Amino acid sequence: MTEEDADRRAVRTTYDRIAPYFSETRAHPWPQITEFLEGRTASVGLDLGCGNGRHAEPLADRCDRVVGLDLSRSLLDIAGERAAERGVEAGWVQGDAATIPLRAGTVDLALYVAALHHLPSREARRQSLNDLARVLAADGRALVSVWSVTHGRFDAESGFDTTVDWTLPDGETVPRYYHIYDPEEFATDLGASALAVERTFTDSGNCFAVVRGKGKRTYQTTG
Amino acid sequence: MKEDLLDIVCCPLDKSELELEAIRRDEGEILEGRLVCTECSEEYPIEDGIPNLLPPDMREESAA
Repeated sequence: MTEEDADRRAVRTTYDRIAPYFSETRAHPWPQITEFLEGRTASVGLDLGCGNGRHAEPLADRCDRVVGLDLSRSLLDIAGERAAERGVEAGWVQGDAATIPLRAGTVDLALYVAALHHLPSREARRQSLNDLARVLAADGRALVSVWSVTHGRFDAESGFDTTVDWTLPDGETVPRYYHIYDPEEFATDLGASALAVERTFTDSGNCFAVVRGKGKRTYQTTG
Repeated sequence: MKEDLLDIVCCPLDKSELELEAIRRDEGEILEGRLVCTECSEEYPIEDGIPNLLPPDMREESAA
């Protein structure tokens, strides 16, 4: 097992452990997401790194079908229960955002919010962006966000790797891997990917990008 | 999972189509079963209605 595999498994283990507590603090979509979704409709909507499924409802409001994908089975169980309580229909899939188990060109509208920064190598993060481009339909759009050095808790100007502890109710802390992006690096990684970037912006300590697939693509995915 | 999810999902390794082997169903939902890659024959379990389409090397149960 490589160090990277171990890191990725650690991210999953962490979210499996903190799932119920994490979920309580993640009740509502961010305003940037609401704004992105406004006026858009789609056949298939995807929430990549869906966590507790808080975006299923806003996606279901404008998509015929919604798929939520996450690494953590515990979070998917919570997402399923939460959707059932609210009468929201969605399909839940356990999967890896760097090797998305969805067919090419099937997704019209995607959210990839606060999840890319958990992939523990630049190669995996770029592979994930390429795979997002692969699954997007020709006229599909996605909103991507990552944690940024512009957030007040960080004192850095360029991107860096770190772990951020989650404190369980009994006081025990569980570490989570993050890559904190600087906005320029985020733009560089997007530019190097198979995604076409419509716009990028930073807001509330996060970098955001509205992206689309490039239509007919010539690159090959790996893995 | 609903059977129509098969139109969207694929093998994470080679992105080929998956074939459903349902073991237990309830009102159109597949609760237990397998998704089998039509190309590489890798099997992906469906447990309590959720398919596990992690690449096999990421699938192993965590200790926690």
